[in-house]
Amino acid sequence: MTRVSPREHPAGIRTDTHIQDVRGRADATLPTVSAWTSPAAIEVESRLFRALAVLRVVVLINALGLTIYRAANFDPPAAALVCALVMVGWTVFALWAYAAPARRTAVLVGADLAVALGLLLVTPLVKGPGFQASVPGFWVSGALLACAIHYRWIGGLLAGVALAAVDLAQRQEIDQAIYGNAFLLLIGGPVVGYMCESVQRMALERDEAQRAAARAEERARLARAVHDGVLQVLALVQRRGGELGGDAAELGRLAGEQERELRALIRGEQPGQGPAAGMRDLAVALAELETGTVTVSGPATAVEMPARQAEEIVAATRAALDNVRRHVGEDARAWVLLQAFPDHVEVSVRDDGPGIAEGRVIEAGEQGRLGISESIRGRIEDLGGKAELITGATGTEWELTVPRTGVHA
Amino acid sequence: MSRVMVVDDHPMWRDAVERDLTGAGFEVVATASTGREAITRFAATRPEVVVLDLQIPEPDGVQVTTEIISLHPAAKVLILSASGEQNDVLAAVKAGATGYLVKSASRDELLEAVRRVAAGDPVFTPGLAGLVLGEFQHSAATEVRGDKPTLTDRETEILKLVAKGLSYRQIADRLVLSHRTVQNHVQNTLRKLQMHNRVELTRYAIEQGLDAD
Repeated sequence: MTRVSPREHPAGIRTDTHIQDVRGRADATLPTVSAWTSPAAIEVESRLFRALAVLRVVVLINALGLTIYRAANFDPPAAALVCALVMVGWTVFALWAYAAPARRTAVLVGADLAVALGLLLVTPLVKGPGFQASVPGFWVSGALLACAIHYRWIGGLLAGVALAAVDLAQRQEIDQAIYGNAFLLLIGGPVVGYMCESVQRMALERDEAQRAAARAEERARLARAVHDGVLQVLALVQRRGGELGGDAAELGRLAGEQERELRALIRGEQPGQGPAAGMRDLAVALAELETGTVTVSGPATAVEMPARQAEEIVAATRAALDNVRRHVGEDARAWVLLQAFPDHVEVSVRDDGPGIAEGRVIEAGEQGRLGISESIRGRIEDLGGKAELITGATGTEWELTVPRTGVHA
Repeated sequence: MSRVMVVDDHPMWRDAVERDLTGAGFEVVATASTGREAITRFAATRPEVVVLDLQIPEPDGVQVTTEIISLHPAAKVLILSASGEQNDVLAAVKAGATGYLVKSASRDELLEAVRRVAAGDPVFTPGLAGLVLGEFQHSAATEVRGDKPTLTDRETEILKLVAKGLSYRQIADRLVLSHRTVQNHVQNTLRKLQMHNRVELTRYAIEQGLDAD
């Protein structure tokens, strides 16, 4: 796995990241020929060959047992010994040869298949034309699966066809058992080959995902360092500007605006917090409403909601804030608080204005000025929630409660 | 007036904060620009209040807070951060910081915050109250062991009002409590949050087999 050390020189990292980006894109278009020679694909192949080594020993013991048991069928009997020695010798050689990726050449795989085919071909010579069981029997599966692992489904298919064809061609009569074995060879090869290919693809994708995660982590780290410096300067300009007054105060105010925007942006970009498809982080969405006079508070963890619900809640909150500006004043202070519970979310929007006098709401309704309040209620009730307006000595407050209906709402 | 240490890696900030504090009669006994400096100078000068930036060269502000509180539990840490990283702020408060202020706060807000932290009162912005509330709600929803302290209804109510921007005075009026009682409740929520941290550390130690003799 490629990991960029966090302590490297920044310029070096940027170049690395760039190169990885390019390479990442090439890997994404699976599978190219070179993809099969990538370390991940070779690792998968090596694992499968290690498993095949065990299988080879098992089928060898099986073949030897059967050869000894049926030694009387061989003519001359010494042929049984020669065949058994060939199988033992080749198996030992194959275990050694396949163990190293560099030795897994076309010649090796071809020779493996040739030995299996050869033993099938000598069967009528040593056991007579009316033989029942071929000399190698299931021992040929070693060569078959080696072809499948190394050349994937096409290798498995070709080896299966070759073995089945040679086996069937030498039979005087073909009963169901013989046909069944040939059929197994034919389908077993491509199936194992296809599975090998799938696992290799997954390994490549996993590698790519790990590289992408490492890149994202590194980018986030760089961004943090850059952002922090910018935030420091913006905050200082804002503070000093306010103290100096006049034109400097205006500069300070602008710096403050930029600082808040950058802060909201950073919040939305924290690594590992990206919401799932169709979902939105309500905490991040609400944080974007923060201005010099509006404070937004909420949990540090993401509050994932279906995107449409989140957008409606943000729209209702924005409408409530517009209401504050309209009725309390352009520079009225307001506070937005988001609380997340397992089954619902609560958003409160409070101002510290004089509150709405008893009867004013009714009066406003009569004058047709309830538009904003109705739009807030409408939006929240459409989501199955509840919007309440509380007014008193410590300002006016909207309490928006919306059930969390889960991912598929 | 209280003895204060200022920790910030940006010289312009360090100087500005130091100037403001000195001008208001605080004694700035030390300044530091890295976490390592902060810890050694803290041990040497024993200030009562540490005004601490979170994003400083290793060890970071959260680790410095942990170290300072373990060296001298009565010391007060006020986080003064430009960082947008809410998790860092929460981690620092869990580690024992009793105040948090964004760097864009005015000079008067800063001086008031240092005075209050020095007096032992927590300095909660609505933003911090929202974070702490979120932390307790999150653990209430996900905890199965039940060994973490939870907030009382009163504490939750007060924290909510802080997060909604009410001053302690306004909260006291609304709930018909004394100003002191409101402060005590807020302080309790911080204490419980710091216990969360200890529970988590203990669990980690047990999982790692560090509790074995």
